[in-house]
Amino acid sequence: MAEVAYVEASRVYPGNPPVRAVDKLSLQVNDGEFLVLVGPSGSGKSTALRMLAGLEEVNEGSITIGGRDVTKVQPKDRDIAMVFQSYALYPHMTVAENMGFALRLKRVAKATVAEKVREAAEMLDLTAYLDRKPKALSGGQRQRVAMGRAIVREPSVFLMDEPLSNLDAKLRVETRANIAALQQRLGTTTIYVTHDQVEAMTMGHRVAVLKDGLLQQCASPRELYERPENAFVAGFIGSPSMNLVTASVSADGAQLGGLDIPLLRGAETGAHDQVTLGLRPESLRLVGADEPGTELSVELVEELGADAYLHGTVAGDSNQRLVVRVDGRTPPRLGEKVRIGVNAADQAHVFDPETGLRISD
Amino acid sequence: MSIDAPARTGRGEIEPANVNTRRSSGFLGGVSHVVLFVWAVLIVVPIIWIFVSSFKSNTELFTNAWSIPGQLRTGNWSRAFSEGNIGRFFLNTILVVAAGTFGTMVLGSMAAYVLARYPFRGARFIYFVFVAGLAFPVFLALTPLFFVVRNIGQIPGIGQFIGLDSYGGVILVYIAYSLPFTVFFLTAFFRTLPTPVAEAAVIDGCSNTRLFFRVMMPMAKPGLISITIFNVVGQWNQYLLPLVLLSGQAKDKWVLTQGIADIAISSSYRADWPALFAALSMAILPMIIVYVLFQRHIQAGLTAGAVK
Repeated sequence: MAEVAYVEASRVYPGNPPVRAVDKLSLQVNDGEFLVLVGPSGSGKSTALRMLAGLEEVNEGSITIGGRDVTKVQPKDRDIAMVFQSYALYPHMTVAENMGFALRLKRVAKATVAEKVREAAEMLDLTAYLDRKPKALSGGQRQRVAMGRAIVREPSVFLMDEPLSNLDAKLRVETRANIAALQQRLGTTTIYVTHDQVEAMTMGHRVAVLKDGLLQQCASPRELYERPENAFVAGFIGSPSMNLVTASVSADGAQLGGLDIPLLRGAETGAHDQVTLGLRPESLRLVGADEPGTELSVELVEELGADAYLHGTVAGDSNQRLVVRVDGRTPPRLGEKVRIGVNAADQAHVFDPETGLRISD
Repeated sequence: MSIDAPARTGRGEIEPANVNTRRSSGFLGGVSHVVLFVWAVLIVVPIIWIFVSSFKSNTELFTNAWSIPGQLRTGNWSRAFSEGNIGRFFLNTILVVAAGTFGTMVLGSMAAYVLARYPFRGARFIYFVFVAGLAFPVFLALTPLFFVVRNIGQIPGIGQFIGLDSYGGVILVYIAYSLPFTVFFLTAFFRTLPTPVAEAAVIDGCSNTRLFFRVMMPMAKPGLISITIFNVVGQWNQYLLPLVLLSGQAKDKWVLTQGIADIAISSSYRADWPALFAALSMAILPMIIVYVLFQRHIQAGLTAGAVK
């Protein structure tokens, strides 16, 4: 077990201009922590992980594992284990051979390897499949073998590169919980890459959001949700995503359609005539005619059972699209015009319209 | 994509476009089957004819070429084996082809693997030099090759083992002759192997050598078997190179093809056609057996289960 640190680490691909896939990443991962790297495709999250694994060169800065600088160390000497998106099992070896391969390479005695493989197999419910080849396994079983191969090595850090994206939705949710529980039990520092913000929020102790190779924010899931540092994080975290609309600012607050949204205490809007306003779908609600609100024409209703999400445009401004969470039992119908208002004033996020940085506190 | 099951629209109607592709592929399929059948006949009939004729007597052969032999004259085979020296040539061929193919596969697979998976300066140049060897007509090389091998034979000590009239000389030339296609084919094959598996092996602690022998080579098994068959058959049937490299003075080192040619040439006086056909059958049979045995081991999709 060990802590991991990226110190201004960059991966630059030569070209004209050079592509900075990961740009001066500084990140501290504590011992035993489950850190999730999340971001859209091309955000550099996988590259960051591969730099830690030693599969990508570190062009600038350094990376340490357990206080040891591993920037120039061979992958096999970094004491890490990696789970690949494609699982990358050895097709010509049985499950047991796959899991014990690393130990056999280290010339660990056969009996010891067999014992450790058996332990890991029990943990992962693979005991019955130890003599099978990967091609005779289902997707979920292959995924578990890939996990087992990592566990058997007892590394100081687990690296996981989208290990669930080849599973079907139901199995993914199940395996998600299993991996989180397993990590809790083993207490091994884990760095987990995903593009799925739900996975990130449910599994990570902390979540690091990346975009275009730049770290946007690294915080606990709750903090990311409640206090996103910029408009990108605000829009990326949460499902459905936060409504981000441009609103003009007056003395009463921000105007959205006919609706006045009193701005937060401490929000420095003085320099701006306009701000980017962030409203979570659950911060909006249906209101009666006597309450302050604005009209929304419903263009799409997504019914999820307990809740329903209304997609629509604000009356008088068809560019301002909003998503509103309503009670799932009696949702308005398509094409209907409804009146919506804000739940509580302190649930609006305010961002600078140009830089996207958070203004409200 | 399956052409057997026509795609259906939501209402269960068959889309017209798919009917068209299906019809034309059915027509093409029919044509290709006819072509394949004709081709198979062209190849199989002469082989069977040679095999049948090897049991006939000279008289039977010239009376009716298509007749069935009156009795199984195995004497043709034993005559070819003993008087034609085919037994000796057979062993020589096995030795030369085994060593030649083994050397080709070891060197070729290693070269192809490095060219396919390790980017370095000049990799493409080396690859193209190999590929250029494919376009080089062997007749053009014969004379220089003869002198090169003769000169190598002058090297004190080892020269006698790798020069003219030696097994070593033939084996080395076979390897050189087979490498271009082997490297060309295997480079393409190694490129298709999944990179994450190699990366997983590196993280698991494989050195480059171990990665090759314990992970990549087993994964490349279908490709290696195919090209091995190709090389065995190619080197087994090689005539021109041994003709140049193994002279009449080294008749004890001759390969099968030379032996058969010898029977054919001398038979123009003694006219022992059945013995010639017996010798030919002896040369062909092992190749058919090798092919059938190896073919069983080519499993399509050996890498299935590695990824996804």
